[in-house]
Amino acid sequence: MSHIHINVDQVSFSYEHGEKILEDITFTAREHDAIGLIGANGVGKSTLLKLLVGLNTEYEGSIRVEEIPVEKATLPRVREKVGYVFQDSDSQLFMTTAYEDIAFAPRNYGLSQAEVDSRVQHALEMVHIEHLRDKQIYKMSGGEKKLVSIATILSMIPDIILMDEPSVALDPRNRRNLIHILNEFEHLKIIASHDLDFILDTCNRTILMADGKIIADGATREILENRALLEENGLELPYCMQGKQTC
Amino acid sequence: MSKLSKAIYEIHHMDTLANQNQWMNRIHPLVKFVLTVFYIGTVVSFPKYDMAGLAGMMVYPLVVFIIGDLSFLDSIYRLRIVLPLVCFVGLFNPFFDRVPVGTLGSFTITAGMISMVTLMLKGILTVLASYILIATTTIEKLCYALRLLHVPAFFVTQLMLTYRYVSVLLAEANRIMQAYSLRAPNQKGVHFKVWGSLTGQLLLRSMDRAGEVYESMCLRGYTGEYHFGDAIHARGKDYLYLLFWCCIFALFRLLPVLNLIGGLFVA
Repeated sequence: MSHIHINVDQVSFSYEHGEKILEDITFTAREHDAIGLIGANGVGKSTLLKLLVGLNTEYEGSIRVEEIPVEKATLPRVREKVGYVFQDSDSQLFMTTAYEDIAFAPRNYGLSQAEVDSRVQHALEMVHIEHLRDKQIYKMSGGEKKLVSIATILSMIPDIILMDEPSVALDPRNRRNLIHILNEFEHLKIIASHDLDFILDTCNRTILMADGKIIADGATREILENRALLEENGLELPYCMQGKQTC
Repeated sequence: MSKLSKAIYEIHHMDTLANQNQWMNRIHPLVKFVLTVFYIGTVVSFPKYDMAGLAGMMVYPLVVFIIGDLSFLDSIYRLRIVLPLVCFVGLFNPFFDRVPVGTLGSFTITAGMISMVTLMLKGILTVLASYILIATTTIEKLCYALRLLHVPAFFVTQLMLTYRYVSVLLAEANRIMQAYSLRAPNQKGVHFKVWGSLTGQLLLRSMDRAGEVYESMCLRGYTGEYHFGDAIHARGKDYLYLLFWCCIFALFRLLPVLNLIGGLFVA
């Protein structure tokens, strides 16, 4: 049995004593899992990802990342292990060039310049964007920005990658490229997306959410083939299963 | 292109210039910073009637524009808002200081005119020197130079984040304005009735975006101080560059170089 990386136990969350955004969420994620987090708009997918990385720590229940409880005091340790890719790359990339942005995390962890350079190079190679090393962020296309966003996370050498809507705004070629890159990444990844074809191509396990709760948790194909379950929860079968042309 | 798009473009253009792999860009940032401060100090220290001495100081921007591959016209265009303000400073001198100091044909030149030109020159040269610094040095390297001078980390971080957030604010403002103008095609400018809501939207959206950028920084190990990586060491030629220009500035400040050169051609 592979090592448990994330343990979420009876987690509930609401903003400022308002309506519950997440309710009684419980699941575990193991070392080589590729988990798709699916559900209609506003069911709490992004909120759940943000809890896992400690962007909100006022939740009920328990979240442990590699046995470390996610709370204010432990955030630096948790964040060394988890890479979070934002939905909007413009929020993720804030330096002038790709190199500077990818080097940001290794520098913050106090690595030497040689090690920083090596990590940047490795991250660039992993997402096949060596040619973008010195390109300025504002000159990049949406697809290039997304790949650089992923590289900024890979330079941290995380054990876990969390991604929020990674396929949004990508053209078919960049989308296919991203699928290939994610499939090459062997560690635990959790991908929140509406793009069920993307989930089908990248994840072996899927968690279906509705109204802040987990409705189903199982093998991706099993869940995504269940038309009744998907439609009941505001989703549709993936295009490739509807007999339409796949992306 | 809207004014906001232009402003965003100009910020990015300055970043592009600063990121070039030119000889000037590779000079140690602290050397460039110290040299700029020294140059501005020297320019400002010229007496108000020493127009000829000050004219000699033009050699620095002239040479650096050439070796740094910077466009002079481009710089004037980018400084178009600042330069008139700088020139405005000495505009009233001819009215207050009417002592005649010479004639040009039948035209009497007064001390006020000389001091006006001197003041304008001082303003233009100091602004150009600052432009040269930021056009050849990235904000990160500039902040690194400030840290080397032991400027508090808090201040340097504020400076860098402010620079970043200006872009965020402009980008959000541009989005809002584009959305507005597409739905108010025949309207010039923004109707005063929506100023309040647009300003509120701008504030909220830019705060949201700035918050996300900050979260992204925190998720990558940021704890309040920006790390510039290993030290950038100054090379021999950086020191030589500094020394060379400091000598030139001192020479122009202490000796009437242009007068001496002019004297060579007068029998």
